[in-house]
Amino acid sequence: MNRIIAYIRSKLSVKVSLWVVIFAAIIFNGALGFLFYQARETVRQEAINRATKILDNTSLYVESILKSAEVTTTMTEWLVKRHHNSADSMFVYSAGILINNPDLFGCSIAFEPYYFKEKGLYFSAYSTYEDGVIKTKQEGDDDYQYFYMDWYLMCKLLDRPCWTDPYVDVTSMTPNHLFGNEVITSYCRPLKDDEGNFYGVVAADISLDKLAETVSSMKPYPHSYSMMIGRGGTYFVHPDTTKVFYQTIFTESIEHPDTAMTALGHAMQRGEEGMKHMVVDGEDCLVFYKPLGHTGCSMAIVCPESDIFSNVARLYRTIIVIVCVSLLLMFYFFIRIITRELHPLRRLAQETKTIASGQFETTLPDLDRTDEIGQLSHSFGNMQNSLVKYIEELKRTTAQNAAIESDLRIANSIQMGMLPKVFPTKDDRDDVQIYASLTPAKAVGGDLFDFFFRDDKLFFCIGDVSGKGVPASLLMTVTRAVFRTVSAHESVPNIIVENLNNIIVESNETNMFVTLFVGVLDLKTGHLHYCNAGHDVPLLVGAGVGKLPCKPNVPVGLFAQWKYILQDTYIFANTTIFLYTDGLTEAENEQKHQFKRRRVINVAKEALELNQLEPRQLIDKMSDAVHQFVGEAKQSDDLTMMAIQYIKPEHHVTYNKTLVLPNDTMQLRRLAAFVNETCEVLGFSENLTKKMLLAIEEAVTNVMLYAYPPDVKGEVRIDMSANDLLLLVNIYDSGAPFDPTAMPEADVTLPLEQRRRGGLGIFLMRKLMDSVSYERIDDCNALTMIKRLDNLENKQ
Amino acid sequence: MNTIIQEQDGNMLVFFEGRLDTVAAAETAEACKPLFDCKDQDIIIDCTKLDFIASSGLTILVDILKQTKPNGCRVILKGLSDDLREIFDLTGLTTFFEFT
Repeated sequence: MNRIIAYIRSKLSVKVSLWVVIFAAIIFNGALGFLFYQARETVRQEAINRATKILDNTSLYVESILKSAEVTTTMTEWLVKRHHNSADSMFVYSAGILINNPDLFGCSIAFEPYYFKEKGLYFSAYSTYEDGVIKTKQEGDDDYQYFYMDWYLMCKLLDRPCWTDPYVDVTSMTPNHLFGNEVITSYCRPLKDDEGNFYGVVAADISLDKLAETVSSMKPYPHSYSMMIGRGGTYFVHPDTTKVFYQTIFTESIEHPDTAMTALGHAMQRGEEGMKHMVVDGEDCLVFYKPLGHTGCSMAIVCPESDIFSNVARLYRTIIVIVCVSLLLMFYFFIRIITRELHPLRRLAQETKTIASGQFETTLPDLDRTDEIGQLSHSFGNMQNSLVKYIEELKRTTAQNAAIESDLRIANSIQMGMLPKVFPTKDDRDDVQIYASLTPAKAVGGDLFDFFFRDDKLFFCIGDVSGKGVPASLLMTVTRAVFRTVSAHESVPNIIVENLNNIIVESNETNMFVTLFVGVLDLKTGHLHYCNAGHDVPLLVGAGVGKLPCKPNVPVGLFAQWKYILQDTYIFANTTIFLYTDGLTEAENEQKHQFKRRRVINVAKEALELNQLEPRQLIDKMSDAVHQFVGEAKQSDDLTMMAIQYIKPEHHVTYNKTLVLPNDTMQLRRLAAFVNETCEVLGFSENLTKKMLLAIEEAVTNVMLYAYPPDVKGEVRIDMSANDLLLLVNIYDSGAPFDPTAMPEADVTLPLEQRRRGGLGIFLMRKLMDSVSYERIDDCNALTMIKRLDNLENKQ
Repeated sequence: MNTIIQEQDGNMLVFFEGRLDTVAAAETAEACKPLFDCKDQDIIIDCTKLDFIASSGLTILVDILKQTKPNGCRVILKGLSDDLREIFDLTGLTTFFEFT
């Protein structure tokens, strides 16, 4: 079956032919169905008319016979009356009736017992046919007491002429042939004298067998038959002779209930006329029925539908055969015609296959046709020519591209070769560990990172050249080379950036620029100097996740002699500086959504919670997160990340103490005592102690005055810890976010008149300490102040 | 923190004694208000016994100077310790006051 379907699918001709034939078959079927329905209706009507007519004729015929019996007896009555004394003349009258009415079976003129004294008890003149000849005899003896018979008694008792029910004529009965006897019905007329006394009966007998013969000869169709039933439903006529007299129309319904047959029986008994559609002996039949005159009998004609519609059915079969043969022929010729029409197409397909295999020189068949197939062939010809042309071109460009690609591969390895490949880990150094990754979007990219160590300092940079690909990579190479050259003898980040800027601006004719972050980390103290030239702000991941405060500076390569701002801060032990290019925050997934900095911060927070702050762990985690986010989308920009974790060399912590104060300025005396005590323990000079106290008191006063709303109680915590290198002061409060480092700072260079009140506090903090930085960590304000202790002598 | 103001030889003599921190600043500012009315006088502030001065304390001194200088007054800080003098240097206030 599957093979047949596959074959049909592979052959257009078969497919189209099949569709046409199926549609034709559906249309033919509909039309023929309608036609035959009409034909059947017509034939059915015809059958009804025919059967009704036959029934009417039969009925009329029977009526005429019955009428003749009635007329004859009436006419005989007066004769008998006139000669009622002459018994012998009755024989003549009786025979006369038969002679005048050949349809009659017999005739009796019977008298009351002893009416004729000379004749004794019985006298009845009876004439009938014996072997076709009329015989007349005297009837009545001890075996046949006629005056007790139905026909005699009925008439006597009713006192009017009447028809008897059919009965078997016992007079003609022969002992051995009970079944061959005639069934008759008689018309009886009472005889009365002038006084109205009953003295006899004139009866005319009609043979029902004769009627039955007439009835059973009614045969409108070859297989139709007639039946006749009496008043009680007994069959008088039926094709199955064993049923006649012995069964009624209801007999079979007793064993096998058949409501239709029972209803027919009742209808016929009631003397109704009509037609019924019913199943007789397992066949659909139309049954027409009508009563036979006054006899109480009813006749029915049973016509099997198969008989009625035999002609229609024959016609139907013939037409079906013709239609099927026509459809098959149609199918065959369609296939032949379509196959012939499609022949050029097959050739075309063959030739195209050859072309597709690479033999472009194959000549296509030259079709002299203007139809669709001709056009297709023509188009294929054009396509072949174009293909040859394009393939040639493709070969040429492919060769060129291969050369370029090979160049790019070499360029890529040169570029990658420039980047540091060996990253210091905990095993290599005890002060810092670094890891970085650079993934260009194309063969070569415009991102760069670099780091090296000099004089116990870590020099590092990360940058992103505007644009992508080869032009960006060239500028990246220049930037990286100049960074190395300049920083070989220069340690201040903003000077390094300014030098770099001046060199690049000089040769930058395409107006490309570089965003750059340059940092120099003092590995002894954690003191970080940095300069950010328009680059993404690095993250600090340590106590929490925060941003490294960065002043906006223009990118490198745009303006000659631009002054870049230097910034500095302290990096605490085990804090990781996370630097990245915009390829990270702007990484796009398939829905064009960007990774964004909030996701970067979330991943960093996760790493912090899991204590995975080692550079390699952090960068791997970030890479996984960004790859998962991007999914199948193509990398759109170079992606670079660098993580630097500062591991402070272990110094002996000489002091570590905490003071917690309510936010009440009256408590500042306790702060002074706390600071003085600390400074004394640490052996600070009086001068340094006073400076520390001033700076710390200014900071704590700020918190007490501004962090909490008026009348709200709060706390401020002061941690002081120190080793031989640093004094670290941390001030925490859980008030509203408040960054004192962002407050306007007093300008101490202004003349008195222009001086404004305030701003002196933060100014003093900055001046007295080496570093002041603010962070918002876990809903707390955290202010960190650092005082270096290793170069106090120089300062003093 | 104690603030004593005396008039001597036509000049105003002010004694600051103790810690001039944020707690004391409001009280001290109130005590120094009479100085604002001085005209063509020298205001001599004796800081010999001043142990500590916070930014709020500096602000009071600057306020006095701003108020009285246009009226022909001089503000002279007397006996300021080196440690406190350093704070004045840091904040660029040294140029506005006279020191003895």
